[in-house]
Amino acid sequence: MSAAAESIEIEAVRESPVRHALRRLSFYLRRNWRYYLLWFVAVVIYSVIFNAIPMMVGRAVDGLIDPGVPAEVVVRRCWILFGLALVGGVFRFYTRQLVFDAAREVEYEIRNDLFGHLQKQPQSFYFKWRTGELMSRCVNDLNSVRLLLGPGLLSVAQSPILFIGAFAFMSTYSVKLATLMVIPYPLFIVISRFIGARLFRRSLAAQESLASMSNLVQESIAGIGVVKAYAMEGDRAARFAEANDHLRDRQLKLVRAGAAMPAMTGLLPAAGLGMALYVGLDMIAAGTLKPGALFAFTIYARMLTFPTMMMGYSVSLLQRGASAMQRIDEVMSIEPSIADHTESVQLDDLSGEIEFRGLNFAYGDYAREPALADISLKVPAGSSLGVVGPVGSGKSTLASLIPRIYEVESGQLFIDGVDVNRLEIERLRTSIAMVPQDSFLFSMPIRSNIAYGLPEDATEAEIHLAARRAQLAGDIEDLPEGYDTLVGERGVMLSGGQRQRTALARALALDPKILILDDTLSSVDAETERRIQTELSNVFAGRTVVVVASRVNSVQGLDQIVVLDEGRIVERGRHADLLALGGLYAGLAAEQEAESKDGVGAPITPDAVPSDDVLAGEFV
Amino acid sequence: MSDPDAGKKTEKMKGAKKANSGDGGSDPFDEDALGKAYDTRILVRLWPYVLPYWRQVAMTLLLFLPIFVLELAPAWIVKSGIDRVVASAAAASATGTEFVVTDFLLEGRAESRPEIAKEAGPGFADWVDDQVGGFFDPPTDWSLGGWLAMLYVITTLVLGAMQYVYQVLMASTGQYAMRGLRKHVFGHIQTLQMSYFDVIPVGRLVTRATNDVENVAEMFAQGLVALITDVIKMVGYALILFALSPKLATWAFAIVPVLAVAAVIFRLKVREAFREVRVRIARINTYIQESVTGMKVVQLFSREARNMAEFDAMNADHRDAWNKSIRYDSLLFATVEVATGITMAVILGVGTGVAEVGIMYVFIDYMQRFFMPLRDLSAKYSVMQSAMAGAERIFQVLDTAPEVADLVETAAVGRPEEKGLVEFDHVWFSYGDTKGGETEGRSPDDIDWILQDVSFRVEVGEKVAFVGATGAGKTTIIKLLTRLYDVDRGCVRVDGIDVRDIPQRDLRRRIATVLQDVFLFSGTLARNIALGRADLSESDVREAAIAVEAHPFIEKLPDGYGTEVLERGANFSTGQRQILSFARALAHGAHILVLDEATSAIDTETEAAIQRGIHVLMEGKTAIAIAHRLSTIRDVDTIHVLKSGRLVESGSHTVLLGHGGHYARLHQLQSENEQGGGAAEVGSQQA
Repeated sequence: MSAAAESIEIEAVRESPVRHALRRLSFYLRRNWRYYLLWFVAVVIYSVIFNAIPMMVGRAVDGLIDPGVPAEVVVRRCWILFGLALVGGVFRFYTRQLVFDAAREVEYEIRNDLFGHLQKQPQSFYFKWRTGELMSRCVNDLNSVRLLLGPGLLSVAQSPILFIGAFAFMSTYSVKLATLMVIPYPLFIVISRFIGARLFRRSLAAQESLASMSNLVQESIAGIGVVKAYAMEGDRAARFAEANDHLRDRQLKLVRAGAAMPAMTGLLPAAGLGMALYVGLDMIAAGTLKPGALFAFTIYARMLTFPTMMMGYSVSLLQRGASAMQRIDEVMSIEPSIADHTESVQLDDLSGEIEFRGLNFAYGDYAREPALADISLKVPAGSSLGVVGPVGSGKSTLASLIPRIYEVESGQLFIDGVDVNRLEIERLRTSIAMVPQDSFLFSMPIRSNIAYGLPEDATEAEIHLAARRAQLAGDIEDLPEGYDTLVGERGVMLSGGQRQRTALARALALDPKILILDDTLSSVDAETERRIQTELSNVFAGRTVVVVASRVNSVQGLDQIVVLDEGRIVERGRHADLLALGGLYAGLAAEQEAESKDGVGAPITPDAVPSDDVLAGEFV
Repeated sequence: MSDPDAGKKTEKMKGAKKANSGDGGSDPFDEDALGKAYDTRILVRLWPYVLPYWRQVAMTLLLFLPIFVLELAPAWIVKSGIDRVVASAAAASATGTEFVVTDFLLEGRAESRPEIAKEAGPGFADWVDDQVGGFFDPPTDWSLGGWLAMLYVITTLVLGAMQYVYQVLMASTGQYAMRGLRKHVFGHIQTLQMSYFDVIPVGRLVTRATNDVENVAEMFAQGLVALITDVIKMVGYALILFALSPKLATWAFAIVPVLAVAAVIFRLKVREAFREVRVRIARINTYIQESVTGMKVVQLFSREARNMAEFDAMNADHRDAWNKSIRYDSLLFATVEVATGITMAVILGVGTGVAEVGIMYVFIDYMQRFFMPLRDLSAKYSVMQSAMAGAERIFQVLDTAPEVADLVETAAVGRPEEKGLVEFDHVWFSYGDTKGGETEGRSPDDIDWILQDVSFRVEVGEKVAFVGATGAGKTTIIKLLTRLYDVDRGCVRVDGIDVRDIPQRDLRRRIATVLQDVFLFSGTLARNIALGRADLSESDVREAAIAVEAHPFIEKLPDGYGTEVLERGANFSTGQRQILSFARALAHGAHILVLDEATSAIDTETEAAIQRGIHVLMEGKTAIAIAHRLSTIRDVDTIHVLKSGRLVESGSHTVLLGHGGHYARLHQLQSENEQGGGAAEVGSQQA
């Protein structure tokens, strides 16, 4: 008893997200009401014709048996049957096509909306949601929803109409018999409730298993380098086997529940027909029923078997579709935590002033301590800021907050004196060019990667200039198809240094007010880095620049340098001031200077430094 | 400017293309290459996965016969009812007296409607009636209706139960078999060489192991067996109907050729449409996947609107392709239904005078059953086609032989003592052709060698560093040492044995590698350090973390060593990830330590900490380091300078500086950079 109460409670708790999901789904259905209206008309006409056919068979048989009916009447009835079959076929076509097309239309709309929604989600969302998980929702779940709307809806909506029609036609023979025939069908509701709930849970469980296995595979392949280097194949295979067995077990459970539905619903017409035989045969014997009725009734029972079984199958489609829609709805219900403010401030042009006012920031639930604490800092428009500090001190975080890819509380970060949360996101981000730490490239031609932030009508000249500035032009010329070379997934076709330079070119192609370089050149070799730096000094002019660096030498010429430690600013000033301060910065600088000077005998004279051309010839 | 780095990648790409096309036919990842709906070759290959479950398969097949017979039965039950009541009614109307149903006689019926019995006589129907007819006569205390109704319901119940078992058996056999297939696919993927993963997107391999396998499972549940049994059933119905009344059967089946032609045409059209659908959905899914992984860049560059438009176009394309397939599918469905209806009209219209009413009933019933598989044909067809296409692509992955494979004889070598000796003996390598097949035919000058005739020896306990420009071949040395790739010429030896003679697993356990890209797996931090080594205790992990100074930041995490790593380590900074990778290498305690540019993105302070840790780690071990920053490797015993794949200088830091060659120049350049060439040196403020 208590278990039953508990399960009811679980049902009640569960019901609400499903309802929410179905409410969302109904929005799409309403949007396509024209399809559904036409479809409904077709279904009604079709069901009339569908049900007229067994009737006509019965009448023809009656004519055959009754010697009093002339042969030409029987033949005429057969011709009517012929005609009904033809016309019925036409409507049959539309009852299928319209609803399936509508399902595809809805699928299309949901997929578009889902994609658009994903594009609005901030980085914190992608911390929580694994790629595999999202993919599974975009692919498998959406597919289940489509099946719900297509075959599922078709059968669920059409079957009752067919039953009503069949009942009406059968009643013309005998109301009693017609009633007996359809009596078992309400049992269907009981069966579908009984098996349906189980089916729902099991399909949800199987989908979860599939998604987690998919994640495991994805991760194992993405990390194949480590797997091989550490001979982890056995461990990975064991984990996979575990997930694999889990999936199989859950799917077996689903198979058992799923097969029960059509098996049980298939019995319903049989029960009806059993009743009809029981009563009907005696009625015919008694002369109160024409023999043709038996033909008609058995054909009705047969013809209704398929829709009933489909209905049984549809229940599983509906359950699966509903749970899938719930999973989609779960994603779509997450309001992007970064969105344009309702009263956003319209700025025509940003000048590029950045100001942090007592900013605190933590990565949601993932860290015990805030990533940044009490950051107060002003970067005047057109000036440059260097951010240095040890690993995990919050350097990258600080830089990432400026384009608002993480949530910042209001009143803590200001661009041009306006709270960053009040700026239009697009205006803000188009004014900023950032080279993120991981130089993610898209599997497109290298040209398109460089032009990624440019408008569609970007000229070749712009792209080539950006490539030259990032010291990438030479590399591109050597690629088999030049600027048309596909870079592969995540840019795997390029070396680490080339990827970073492409990411740099992508940022330099823009004409931003604010340029952010987040430890950008770690995989670029010394000579290339030097050439890039020369170029950068031209690019920096007239822009606000934020340089995040692990090394002091990357920031020493900047207007302002802050040193972060454990999320706090511990030192600030210009290079010389900081050196004089004798703190963390000076320590870093000293260490580094010691390193670079060590072993160098004579001071470097200009003559000793080979020119770029010589270097290019020597090392490249 | 000719950067060899670019050349290397060019070759890599060419090599990849070659590898794919060399696999004996089509590109395994060309989504356009779609299979047939029925391919014996593929089915034969799937058989081994089903074989262990042959008992279930046998049971399924055994169940088919009784199921088929039981499906035939209901029509005969109704027929005998009709026969009896019609005869009685006729008798009643003929004699005007009350009739007794149980006393019905065949002769009497024939007399009452003599024109019906033209084909009667000792036909098949009579034979069947003789065999089972008595069964349909109700016992004395039963009415005809009650008796037949009971028979009917019992038959259906038994049939339903058998069909349930049948369906569950088929689907579960599929699930069991697919578990085996999945396991095989995953295991095989792990054995493939690195160059394979360089060119094949992760998402596609994931699809092989998940969705493609699901499609094959679906075939087991719905398609394959049903397709065969459907054909058997259709033949069975046709044979029975022709036996019952050849004349009526001829009329009834007259429409079947028309239907068959229509089915063939629609099938071809549906196939074409499905092909388009698959190509388009694959494109959409790749696009979503890539967008999700690179969403940060999408947002930073405000590409949302344009990407939305691109996506919308793909999405609409996909929908349109589907709509086309839906049209043909619906046409087929409607055509079958029209045929069913017309057949009934024909049976009744022509049947008069040819067959009894009861036989007509059987005809109508069996013809409906005959048409049913045709109606489902397109649905089954699509299941089969997805399955065949999926299986074909799975097998193409399975057919990709690992280029780097353990020799059969490796076992014979056994496990030589671990010392930590590394030798490169006249090693030549290019990414273009890993097996040397094509390089043999060409002169060495035509090949973009990544390494040319590289020889060196790292003694036990020696610390060695490789320097050189990007693309000079530094990283390749590590890849050859750990045998992620095989050499073209020459030989790489570890502890005196050719690496090709050591089982890969054993080889890689001898070498602890710190890779450029630090990859973290989901799971706890502790697990990420132990990396599947069951013999590493918690304290081993902790010790390693303390040694590389990862312990302090791990301690600060909410769950310490038990903290779950988010996808790809998103909750750790690059520097933290690198420190973790040091802990990994340290914990694994191999005799050879390989550091691949691992220190480049770490700030000086952390790096100093790492250096201390590495010194501990390096003690008594052979170490090979690769770094851009010369400062990090100045303490090593020997520095090897690589230039365009050739070893140009070797010696200690001091020796090489004194030598005044490439190393000295590189060093000078770097010192200059570090002193005055800061990334943001605008104001040119010299310290």
